[in-house]
Amino acid sequence: MTPKHENLSAFVDGEGQDENFVKTLVNDAELSARWHRYHIIRQSLRKEMPEQADFDISGSVMAALQSEPAILAPKRTWKDLPVISNVIPLVRSSGQLAIAASVAVAVIFGFQQVNNQPETQIFNPAPASFTGIQGGLSPVSLEQTRVMPNVSVEEQQRRFNMLMNDHMNQVMLKNTLSSTPEKAAVESSAQERQPDVSQERENLPE
Amino acid sequence: MRHVNVALLCLLFAVQVHAQSGLVQDPNAQIWLTKMAQAKQQLNYKVTFVMSRPGADPQPYLWRHAITEDGIEMEQLDQLNGPGKEVIRIGNTVSYFDSHRPPYSLQSSHISGPLPSILLTDPLSLMPAYEFVVVGKSRISGRVAQQIRMVSKDKTRFGYNLWLDQNIGLPLKISVVDLNGQKMEQIQVTELEVTPSPDPYFANYVVSATMPDVVQFAPQPKEKQNWKLDFVPIGMEQVKHSVRLLQNNGGKLEYMMLSDGLVDISVYLQRANGQVAESDIVARIGSDIYYSRTQGNVLVTVIGKIPANTANAIATSISAVQ
Repeated sequence: MTPKHENLSAFVDGEGQDENFVKTLVNDAELSARWHRYHIIRQSLRKEMPEQADFDISGSVMAALQSEPAILAPKRTWKDLPVISNVIPLVRSSGQLAIAASVAVAVIFGFQQVNNQPETQIFNPAPASFTGIQGGLSPVSLEQTRVMPNVSVEEQQRRFNMLMNDHMNQVMLKNTLSSTPEKAAVESSAQERQPDVSQERENLPE
Repeated sequence: MRHVNVALLCLLFAVQVHAQSGLVQDPNAQIWLTKMAQAKQQLNYKVTFVMSRPGADPQPYLWRHAITEDGIEMEQLDQLNGPGKEVIRIGNTVSYFDSHRPPYSLQSSHISGPLPSILLTDPLSLMPAYEFVVVGKSRISGRVAQQIRMVSKDKTRFGYNLWLDQNIGLPLKISVVDLNGQKMEQIQVTELEVTPSPDPYFANYVVSATMPDVVQFAPQPKEKQNWKLDFVPIGMEQVKHSVRLLQNNGGKLEYMMLSDGLVDISVYLQRANGQVAESDIVARIGSDIYYSRTQGNVLVTVIGKIPANTANAIATSISAVQ
C-alpha cells in the first residue's frame, strides 16, 4: 500500500486531508475508482448498502466466467450434451470463483433483504396502539352484496408502491416556489423529471 | 430585544381586536408561535434531535441554521445514522444529497423533511384549520419549556404538541398525537445551542461549494378536472390537480392534492375496469394512511397523514364534475 493509498483510506475513514490531496483525488482516475470501491466496501461491511445498488455483481461474475475459454473450449465438441459438458468442467475449474461469487451475491442480497424489510411489512398490522379500523389491513366495506374481485397480491403491492412513491414525490414538490393552485398542473406533471430512481417509475408515462 | 417587545405588543393588540370578531384563539399561543417563528428564522443555532416514528428505528438528525451578513438564511439538515442524507438550503434553493441517487436542487423556501416546516416558520397560517392552546410549563431537554397544543378544528387531522424553549423560543419537543391522544410521531431535541455567529460549517463548506442544478419544470397545459371532492376538511384546499395516462392498462389516473400547508393528502382516481387491483384496503405506514376503495365505478385511493375516518369521508365524497 503506497502512502497515496494510505491517505485515501484515512480520508474515506473521515480523517481530514489537505486540499492538495482532494485535488489529486479528483484528478487521478485510478485513485477515484479506488475511492469509489472503498466506499462500497465500507457500506457493505456496515450493512448500509442502498436498496438499489448501482453496480452489478452478477454481471462481473458472468464476465469472469466467460473469460475462461481455455478450459471450456476443448470440452465443447458437438457430441457432448450441451448442459452437462458445460457444467461439469465449469464447476470443477471455476468452483472456487463460483462459490466466492455466490457468497458475495448472497451477502449483497441478504443486505438488500434486511434493507427492504420496512417495505415488506407494509401489509402487516399496524402497531398495537391503533385500535379499531385503524388497526391495519382490513376490508373497509362490510356490504355482503358486493362482489370482491379476485386481485393478485403482486398487482396490489405494485399499485401500492407506485402510489406511495408518487405521494412522497408530490409532497416533496409541493413546496417548490412556483407551487400555487393556479400552477398546480405544472408541478405534478413535471415530477417525472425529478432524478428519482424509484422502481415504479416505469409505470408512469414519460 | 426592545423592538421584539414592541412587535409582541402590537401583535397582542391586533389579537385583542381580532378576538372581538370571534375569530381568534388564545392570544398567548399566538405570541409564543410568533416568537418561535422568529427564532427559527433569525437565529444562528445548532440542534440535534431524534425523530421517532411507528414501525421504524428512531433517527438522529443534526440541524443547523445561520444568517449570513447579507441576511441570507442557510440551513442544513443531516441524517446522522446510516450512509448519510443531507439537505442544504441557501435562501430559496434547497439541495438534496442522498447516497443512492444523484444530488439535485429544488426552488423552495423550506426543506422537505422530518420537521413540520410550515408549523415552524408560518404557524399563524394554520390558524384557520387548527386551534392553538397554551397548556403550561414543563422541563424538556433540561430546559424550561412552554407547551402548546394544536388541535384540528373539525377533528379530521392529527394534533400536535409543541414544547418551546422558554427563553429562546425554539422547539424542544414536537409530538403528533392521534384523536385519542395516542402519540404517533415525536421529535425530541437532545441538544440546542444558539450562537452569536454562524456555525463555521457554513463558511467552510457551504459557501464555497457548488450546489447541484435546480430542477426546472416546464409549463404544462392544465387538464380538465373530471371529479371533485364534496368533503374537504376545514382549512384545506385543493392545491394540485393533474391527469396522467397509465402505461399498462391505458387507463387514466386523475390526481388531486388537498393541503392545509402542514398536512398533505393525495387523492388518486382511476376507473375500475376489472383490470386493476380493486379490493378495498386500509393500511397504515408509519403515520401515513393508505386507503383504497371502489366507489361506484371509480377506484379511489387516499394517502396522507390523517385518521382513517377522514380518508373514508374524502373517498366517499367524490362526484363527477358536471
